[in-house]
Amino acid sequence: MALPQLFEFYVRPRILYGPGSVREIGFEAGKLACTRAVIVTDKVLHEAGLAEKVIDGLAGSEVTVGGIFDDVPPNSEVQVVERGAEFAAGAGCDLLIALGGGSVMDTAKGMNVLLSEGGGLLDYEGAGLITRPLRPFIAIPTTAGTGSEVTIAAVIRDEAQGLKLEFNSPFMMPDLAILDPELTVSLPPGLTAATGMDALTHAIESVISTGSQPLSDALATGAIKLIAANLRQAVTQGDDLEARGSMLLAANMAGIAFSNALLGIVHAMAHPCGGRYGVPHGIANSILLPYGMEYNLPACADRLAEVAAVLGVDTRGMEDETAALAGIAAVRRLAADCGLPARLSEVGVPRDGLAQLAADSQGDAMMMTNPLYAGEEEVLALYEAAY
Amino acid sequence: MPVFKDSEQMYDCIGAVLDFLRQDPKASAAFRKSGLVIRFKYSDPDGEITIDGSQDPIALTCGPADRKPTVDMTMSADTAHQFWLGKLNLVAALNRGAMTAKGPIPAIMKLLPAITPAYKQYPEILRAKGLGHLI
Repeated sequence: MALPQLFEFYVRPRILYGPGSVREIGFEAGKLACTRAVIVTDKVLHEAGLAEKVIDGLAGSEVTVGGIFDDVPPNSEVQVVERGAEFAAGAGCDLLIALGGGSVMDTAKGMNVLLSEGGGLLDYEGAGLITRPLRPFIAIPTTAGTGSEVTIAAVIRDEAQGLKLEFNSPFMMPDLAILDPELTVSLPPGLTAATGMDALTHAIESVISTGSQPLSDALATGAIKLIAANLRQAVTQGDDLEARGSMLLAANMAGIAFSNALLGIVHAMAHPCGGRYGVPHGIANSILLPYGMEYNLPACADRLAEVAAVLGVDTRGMEDETAALAGIAAVRRLAADCGLPARLSEVGVPRDGLAQLAADSQGDAMMMTNPLYAGEEEVLALYEAAY
Repeated sequence: MPVFKDSEQMYDCIGAVLDFLRQDPKASAAFRKSGLVIRFKYSDPDGEITIDGSQDPIALTCGPADRKPTVDMTMSADTAHQFWLGKLNLVAALNRGAMTAKGPIPAIMKLLPAITPAYKQYPEILRAKGLGHLI
């Protein structure tokens, strides 16, 4: 692969990994020179006792807990973020700790913007509008999929407009991500599978993105190897800390990769499925990933052959195209082995809604870095094939 | 040294490519469908151009306009020049701070396929104005 003329690579945040590593949070928070934390989470995790683990970890440190904001829904909203920021300000918070999946992380990112910069969240919709560091922020993911703990973006729904809004700034990244596999063992098999395939999609789309570069490639291919070797085990043996830890790391590595290289057609097609019909993001990605890879094959057979090799396919002696097709078959097998649906018709998408989905996909930023141009017609054909 | 010698030259060139899009059937249909009022705020030389897709026909104003923008795109005039030459990755420019976008990014992205004819047109515009050396 020829080197790009110019690229940059964000390496924030610092990452602490290990089973039980959440117990280190008091020491880590002290290093950030903070005294009062607010934990951002959701009610399910709070009731499951995960927030208590964070509080226990802070015990004995100089950081006290000002409160727990657990009002985060599965898809966060502008009003939730604004309410959370008010809660944190009222609690005298100088440190935010996000404990949860993508929605919790994105909520905390938005809260941090408001807590640090003031104003309303809509003032910051867009890219590059935050120009200085925000308050200290620690992210603790409890799913292995979104990689939101290492990305520069937050997606928040605005009920008033009926739209998902994007907020992009490197300053929204946390200062520290704590990856503790013990916090993910209670994740049910279905969610483990869907979030794992989300991470795989991040990694594969990063490799074939027109924004790919050697640093993102190294992490993306490393993530693919870990997912191929551990996702089945994490789904079937949820208490296997080795598999859980490998998946957390894979999601994290894929998150760093795609935050730098960006994504492509699979995400551009998956987002409208979630927006229009509530298809969970990981499941939409899992269904559409093989179709996106097949579509892009003429433009990047060599890259897809590399993907096949790190997926564990023995590609020795194969032409690139043959290897790429074997890799696509391996992706389909992995999703099937994890019990995930293979067709859009299985997840509540009506056939007469496909044209609208194809139109929606054209407005997705991720289409820009897909290796092959795909207009509405091409995307509709892919949706039809995946139906 | 900046590409454009002054604001007038910048308006003449960048304004012309936006006017081309305003008259292009596919691009103007996309702008009208978006309903966006996009204000481009340039520096070095300073200036602003507003394209108003909420009106029919689409309005283009070089200089301050009295409409409230739905999207504010801020960049140097050199960055705008590179963009219309098709030499700039918009996403990378946004990430690197060469551009800022205040407003709905997905709506802006949706316009991109419709404006691609301008990448071919812009060099022609420059040549026609005797500014081929800027390409």
